[in-house]
Amino acid sequence: MILDLVGYAAFFLTMALTYAIVCLGLNIQWGQTGLFNVGVAGFVAIGAYVSALLTTPEAAGRIGGFDLPIAIGWLGGAVIAGAASFLVGALTIRLRADYLAIATFGVAVVIRLCALNLEHVTGGPFGIGFIPRPFASYAGNPTLFSLLNLALLALVVLALYLALERLLRSPWGRVLRAIREDEEAALALGKSSVRFRLQAFAIGGALMGLAGAAQAHFIGFIAPDDYLPTLTFQVWAMLIVGGPGNNRGAIVGAIVVWGVWAISASAIAAVFPAGEQARAASLQVVLIGLALCAILLWRPRGLLGETRIVSRHLAGLSQSRLALNHETRND
Amino acid sequence: MSAETVAPSGLETHGLVAGYERDLPIVRGVNLSVGAGEFVVLLGPNGAGKSTLVKAIAGLVPIHHGSVRFNGEDITAAPAHEKIRRGLAFVPQTENVFATLTIEDNLRLAADLLPKRVRARRIAELYAMFPDLAAQPRRPAGQLSGGQRQMLAAARALIVQPSLLILDEPSAGLSPKMATEVFSRLKAINASGVTIILVEQNVKSALAVASRAIILVEGEARHEGPAATLADDPIIAELYLGAARART
Amino acid sequence: MSPQILMDGLINGAMIGLGAIGITLTYSILRFSNFAHGEFIAWGAYIALALSGFLGVLAPSLTAPLGPFSFGWSLPIAAFGAIALTAALALLADALLFGPLRARGGASIILVMASFGAALVLRNLLEFIFTSRPAYYADGLQIALRFLGVRATPDALLCLLVAAIVVVATHLFITHTAVGRAMRAVSENPELAGIVGVDSRKTIRLVWILGAGLACLAGIMAGLVVQIRPTMGVDLLLPLFAAAILGGIGSTPGALLGGLIIGLAESTTVRLIGAEWRAAVAFAVLVVILLVRPRGLFGRS
Repeated sequence: MILDLVGYAAFFLTMALTYAIVCLGLNIQWGQTGLFNVGVAGFVAIGAYVSALLTTPEAAGRIGGFDLPIAIGWLGGAVIAGAASFLVGALTIRLRADYLAIATFGVAVVIRLCALNLEHVTGGPFGIGFIPRPFASYAGNPTLFSLLNLALLALVVLALYLALERLLRSPWGRVLRAIREDEEAALALGKSSVRFRLQAFAIGGALMGLAGAAQAHFIGFIAPDDYLPTLTFQVWAMLIVGGPGNNRGAIVGAIVVWGVWAISASAIAAVFPAGEQARAASLQVVLIGLALCAILLWRPRGLLGETRIVSRHLAGLSQSRLALNHETRND
Repeated sequence: MSAETVAPSGLETHGLVAGYERDLPIVRGVNLSVGAGEFVVLLGPNGAGKSTLVKAIAGLVPIHHGSVRFNGEDITAAPAHEKIRRGLAFVPQTENVFATLTIEDNLRLAADLLPKRVRARRIAELYAMFPDLAAQPRRPAGQLSGGQRQMLAAARALIVQPSLLILDEPSAGLSPKMATEVFSRLKAINASGVTIILVEQNVKSALAVASRAIILVEGEARHEGPAATLADDPIIAELYLGAARART
Repeated sequence: MSPQILMDGLINGAMIGLGAIGITLTYSILRFSNFAHGEFIAWGAYIALALSGFLGVLAPSLTAPLGPFSFGWSLPIAAFGAIALTAALALLADALLFGPLRARGGASIILVMASFGAALVLRNLLEFIFTSRPAYYADGLQIALRFLGVRATPDALLCLLVAAIVVVATHLFITHTAVGRAMRAVSENPELAGIVGVDSRKTIRLVWILGAGLACLAGIMAGLVVQIRPTMGVDLLLPLFAAAILGGIGSTPGALLGGLIIGLAESTTVRLIGAEWRAAVAFAVLVVILLVRPRGLFGRS
């Protein structure tokens, strides 16, 4: 019984940690660089599919059979997703925030469409199955298996967290911060802000790809319907709840929101009869949506957010008041 | 002018403190009193707070302390769109017409406040006052010259027959010829009974048409007097040549 | 271009255009891209379905098909109620969520994020209440009419007609009424609008009502011509945004034209390449517009 609980907790935490990696990626793009990416699901999908294709055995009707080790899959997923982010960023980085949101939203839609339609590559609507699980040899012992996976992911998240914190304090990170705080000053210093922001965008995308790969190998099968806009909105909810601009916030937000998800899942399982489970699952998403709205209304800086960064985005002067400010400067 | 003898269509401010940020007031305790039919000009060096003051009165800049009374009523907390309904019209310095709307629509927008039956007549009356605008009413206001825009902005403000007209540097960016025309128009409008408060940098021309001048320095009303005598007052030269000296 | 592609494109485009007008109005006046707008479309369709069904239970004669159409009086009657209720839903969302955030003076990005939350709530509530199974206003198939070498169902032609009328009416409303002028004024310069006597808050409420009403109509049409399902709104988001941006934010004729262009592009793609790539068309149009002329056909720079 206790072992079951431990196993379940480990499973829950592992999934939460994969989302934490997505959030860390989004945090670099938004919290640190101010790029409003509403196509998160697309980059997660790229990482998942690349990794799956690299590591699965041969399957009829689609390319594959590379049978490479899991680590290569994860790496490949991250790299390709990062490259895709760089490309998308290059096309869209000069757009204003609202348009960037719509464009990246569209990118994710197209990526999912490709996954759905390019059957020879992606397996079409049925997706890819038999994705190798890490520590597969321990599958016979469910609790140990879950704990090992959890340990692996916890290690990855810790390593990423430390690396990111290091990166942000490095000269590169300082330039990024300068660009975020005052683009004109940064430009005057001679650094190409576009180049830096593109790099940040790519790194964020690579992390999302890594998370997608990790999820794919953890669950064992993926399909286009796993990467709908709902995923993007959920990740945004996680980042906002945790506190945008803050790596710890990204991790905490993912765990908290995933926790809400898991608890509501069990509550729903208890309340609703078996036949109604599928439709009751939508209530979980309703809860996530409500949590996002609630946080924005009552605690906009999230649970751990930095007030300084957030105050610039959230409590700052609205556009028209800024214009008015400029107008009256000469009285 | 003491508070009790201010005529009904007068504007008063008492200890007005205003600014965009709470901890950075630009207007620092201004007591102002303008009587019906007066033509008052607000002068002062750059950064004195003249624009902010009139914007605060118009409801565009937050008021932190103090009050504004108009026609005997406290309008401090009234939202911007309420002020014109009470007869207080404001013409900002820039962006004072809707560039994407035609001249006709700019005027119609203002006329929408009036009862339906008088709208067309009022617009026709303003076209008569400003024939330049009547020439091409379907022109988008964004295509007008600076002078024409000022005229449109003034026409728009006058449609509801306000009792008080406040203008923020209407001659800014205009040629001397146009500026003169603006000032003489304002004098005519004032002569017809409309109280006018004018914020201006063009000291000479403003003093020539105004009845009284109030000088603002660093957010406070420092000096005032009849326009005619102030024109020769050395304090004007002092203010505009050395704002630092005015601090004493 | 074959006439059939043209007809399919027109019908499809009319619905997208109708929805895009709602987006362009709310975007230009409320100043944020509302990712929950699609959900007003879906809710509109479902509310009409529920009301129509309810009326059908009360008075079964109301479900008898009218003439060549697939629906009876229950649907048009329900449509009025649905428009009112969808507008109420939009006002509720503004009162509870967008209004308070706007009053705080935050950046528009926050409103966009809030619209994510609203979209999640609204879409999944629909899924919970109605399940994700497709639904229809009426059973039975419609026979398509044939004329001038094209085929179109009476339902689709009616939708086209209604859409045309509503679009023209909306345009006249925006350009010739006091409320329309007020909306255009607030869209350009809310501060100046206030000075001129326009009550921005009242205008904003009216914009929500107008936008939601148009969305509801678009949803009923989509439900009639295609099908009703909870994801119908989010599936239309990309074409709607693309159409609004293509036409130029703030321009009603632009939104319609954008919708028609995208509708035609989609129907052409479906014919030439295949229906499975339809969703990518709007994206392609969007990318081209954003790279070539971001302010769209009739937008202000």
